[in-house]
Amino acid sequence: MNVKKIMECEQKRFYKIINFRLPHKFMVIGIVVASLSIVMMFVRAFAMEGDTEWLKAVLKKTLVIGMLVMSVSKDKQEDEMTQSLRSQSYAIAFVLGVIYALVMPYVDFGVSNALKPEGETLKDLGDFQVLVFMLMIQLGFYHNLKLFR
Amino acid sequence: MENTIKVERAILNLTQDELAQNIGVSRQTINSIEANRYVPSTVLALKLSQIFGKPVNAFFRLTEND
Repeated sequence: MNVKKIMECEQKRFYKIINFRLPHKFMVIGIVVASLSIVMMFVRAFAMEGDTEWLKAVLKKTLVIGMLVMSVSKDKQEDEMTQSLRSQSYAIAFVLGVIYALVMPYVDFGVSNALKPEGETLKDLGDFQVLVFMLMIQLGFYHNLKLFR
Repeated sequence: MENTIKVERAILNLTQDELAQNIGVSRQTINSIEANRYVPSTVLALKLSQIFGKPVNAFFRLTEND
């Protein structure tokens, strides 16, 4: 295999990864998984007793998975415009996600210290908080852009 | 970029939905192109050219901002 063929092969693989989308039916599955996770989070917080930290950790993961599935599911009618809108929504989600991760710890720190004299110490955000924020922004922007197209 | 797709569509007596089905996009995409909110790819422009039986620059033209 010569260099040109290897490069073509690599290029095809890249495009395969970039263009990967789940079928539209996965959107419903994603919505169900994410919704159930949120409902269970409330149930765990207000109606369950005992050590349920393990459940909290599991629900955080399932919420992110559900939202990710929603994010990578195809539309009912996928065309070049929806692909372009999706790319725009990923770009804005990435930028806002970085800003959120940089700014939010200071907001948390400021608010908690303003409310209580011995507020929280300055700490970074967890991966769950940043990922959920980015997925929420992506899904929100994508569906709004689609609505106003 | 401006276009006269609406006029070309009217000449062929096609609805947005029919044109969309002919070139494999959604009706909303045709609507956005007609309203100059979306600039289609070369592939889509050539598909439109095929449907209208005219060269692409007969119904797409550059504006001063381009």
